[in-house]
Amino acid sequence: MAASKNANTNIPDYEYTDVNTNIFHIDSFKTEWLNRLQPGDVSFQPEDQDSSDALFAKEMGISADTMAELKTVCSLDSLRCHPEDQPPDPDVVPPDPTLKTLIQRKKKQDYRATLKISKNRHDLYADELERLTFGKKPETLDDMVAEGEIILNINVYYPATFEKFCYVRPHITVLMMGSHTLAELRDAICCVNDLQVCGEFSNMPDMAPDFISKDHFKSAFFYFEGVFYNDMRYPECQDTSITTIEWAKDRNFPTYTQAKMEDTRFVDLKIKVGFPYLYCHQGDCEHLVIITDVRLTHKDDCLDKKLYPLLTHKHRVSTQKCAVCHVYIGRWVTTNDRFAPSNPCLFCDECFRMLHYDTEGNKLGEFQAFPYVDRGAFN
Amino acid sequence: MSAKRCRRGEIELYRSPVTEDCEHLLSLFQKTDSVRFEVFSKIWKEMNFSHIFHGTVKHEKRSFSRLILDSAYGFLLPPFSFQIRVGGLYLLYSLFQSQTAAPPEPIRLALKDWEHVKKFEKDAMDAQHMDVIYILRQLRLQRAFHFSATPTRLVFRKLRKKESPALCENFIERASRPQELINIDLLEELTNVHDLYGTLKSSVSETSENSSVNLIRDDLIPQLRSTVMDFHKWQSRQGAADEDEDEDEGSGEGMSSQQECSRRAQLIASIKSKAYGEAAEARKSRRHRQVELDYTSSVAGPLGSSRSGRTKLSLKARTNESLLVLGDLYEGVTSSSTISQLCSLDFKPEDKPKDSKIKVLMKTR
Ligand SMILES: [Zn+2]
Ligand SMILES: [Zn+2]
Repeated sequence: MAASKNANTNIPDYEYTDVNTNIFHIDSFKTEWLNRLQPGDVSFQPEDQDSSDALFAKEMGISADTMAELKTVCSLDSLRCHPEDQPPDPDVVPPDPTLKTLIQRKKKQDYRATLKISKNRHDLYADELERLTFGKKPETLDDMVAEGEIILNINVYYPATFEKFCYVRPHITVLMMGSHTLAELRDAICCVNDLQVCGEFSNMPDMAPDFISKDHFKSAFFYFEGVFYNDMRYPECQDTSITTIEWAKDRNFPTYTQAKMEDTRFVDLKIKVGFPYLYCHQGDCEHLVIITDVRLTHKDDCLDKKLYPLLTHKHRVSTQKCAVCHVYIGRWVTTNDRFAPSNPCLFCDECFRMLHYDTEGNKLGEFQAFPYVDRGAFN
Repeated sequence: MSAKRCRRGEIELYRSPVTEDCEHLLSLFQKTDSVRFEVFSKIWKEMNFSHIFHGTVKHEKRSFSRLILDSAYGFLLPPFSFQIRVGGLYLLYSLFQSQTAAPPEPIRLALKDWEHVKKFEKDAMDAQHMDVIYILRQLRLQRAFHFSATPTRLVFRKLRKKESPALCENFIERASRPQELINIDLLEELTNVHDLYGTLKSSVSETSENSSVNLIRDDLIPQLRSTVMDFHKWQSRQGAADEDEDEDEGSGEGMSSQQECSRRAQLIASIKSKAYGEAAEARKSRRHRQVELDYTSSVAGPLGSSRSGRTKLSLKARTNESLLVLGDLYEGVTSSSTISQLCSLDFKPEDKPKDSKIKVLMKTR
């Protein structure tokens, strides 16, 4: 019984309906699917319709005539809702719709016509990302994604700040293959805090380095189902999860274990789809990580291995503009600044220097200044 | 920020009208009492259903395809009746073909639902519904499926704004206690017990003309089964009559071959999926178990050796014995099955060739 039970646990079912699944092993899930399917089901090559039809007729023991009739009955033509030579414009809601969906859409279309606004940047961007990669083939066969490989959709959310009341939590969506390691996911996550410069530079604004704190704090971990996966690729990496593990040990929590993210492939993981996990870097910058989808590859996926991890969604945050000119993106935050209309206050580099330093570059008055990297600077 | 809020909210606004449209289409299909694609596509055209994709702009095409395919997917699965599931398959096929996203958005098929689809295909095969089988094959040939872990992508926050979608009740197979109660397992169990009881009766009484033996009704099981079948037929006729009283007479011989076909499929689907669902497997494992038992009882067991004057072991001892014999096989067997296990320990296998029970069942099907 034990054996059959174990096999079943790798068939994902809901733990909470429409929210998240129970825990399963990704590689076993892949095997379960492949055992049930025929190679053709996951093949990237199209199959020949005629030979398939012939096979079907033979299998079912039906004559060529019957087969031809069946094909006609089931054809696309049988679904066409308009004369063949008068195709309607698919971009417009047909006049006098009766379907509930179309009535709803017509309302929106009419409303939109009154607004006359052009599409915003975000929409264009989402289109571009997707259109670029569908069914994309690599230059060499070596870079071809394998048939029957696992594809994961992963959402990485930005730390909740002022945007936490918004309907859409800012996040990126990355497509990864089952053979990728967690370290490869880490490298694909772009967080503004990796670029944050720490320190007060009001006395020497020219000394503020352009970046990058990723260089200073390489340690990071993922947390999935009781295991901390630490990044131990560099000698200066520290095990930042140990604090939590020992804290938990002292308090009779279930025991947590550790592993290396560079040694862990996604197929090795046991996870729940839809369940929130954790990515932590810079010591305290925490991101929710949700695996929203696990499935087999499909012929219309991006088939070029080199393009993975593949970013399919990136949240465009509005940039914070300079408080003086309202044109340029903020580069400096000042505090206790009597020149500033607010405390703290954001300035672009030019306005900041004009207001706070004389022509020789001497600091005027008392204030603190911190270099600032805008979240929107990534767009 | 508010613009984005609208955008995400907008696609969600379509969820309920989309479901309503799909349900309307399927209810018209249900009224025809047919499982023919020809009939489905006629309704599709009359409703101008292809137009449901029209008027979507840019990336909305894809998210709308995703939404409507996810909404239609449920109709392919239980607890819906066979006819509705056929309609659900046709709907998925037609939506997949008609969508405006390019490349087409695939239909997500969850691993846990695979066996339902295979069983559905088998039922269609048994009833020789060529169009059903062909369309299912076509979808696989066209790589219309994403073989997934879950029917939809899961984003944790869904939790809070979840509105439980009410399943369309008319589409669900009518619940029926008699069928659920008198299922294949029970019939088989009853056959076993019945046979054993008969053997027991004749073994205690010296003369075969003993009147108490005559009290056993030989045709108990077939009769029970046919009564349930009659009930089911009556029930589905009642259902049809409820919907349309004028056609009351039509449910008899006057049915068109198409109606008959779907009636038959419905009957097969409902009776079979409910009553005979796991029949093949259950029988096999049970036969297997019987053999093991036979072996021990005739070779090693003192129990089967003497007919009269044997000492009966206590129930507990017999249970332990059977557990010992059965080993792993015992695990996972429903409690009702233990009745026959315990009884059969007491008997020689020669009395009853094991296949005869199966034959009774086969005959009654
Ligand atoms: Zn971060
Ligand atoms: Zn400025």
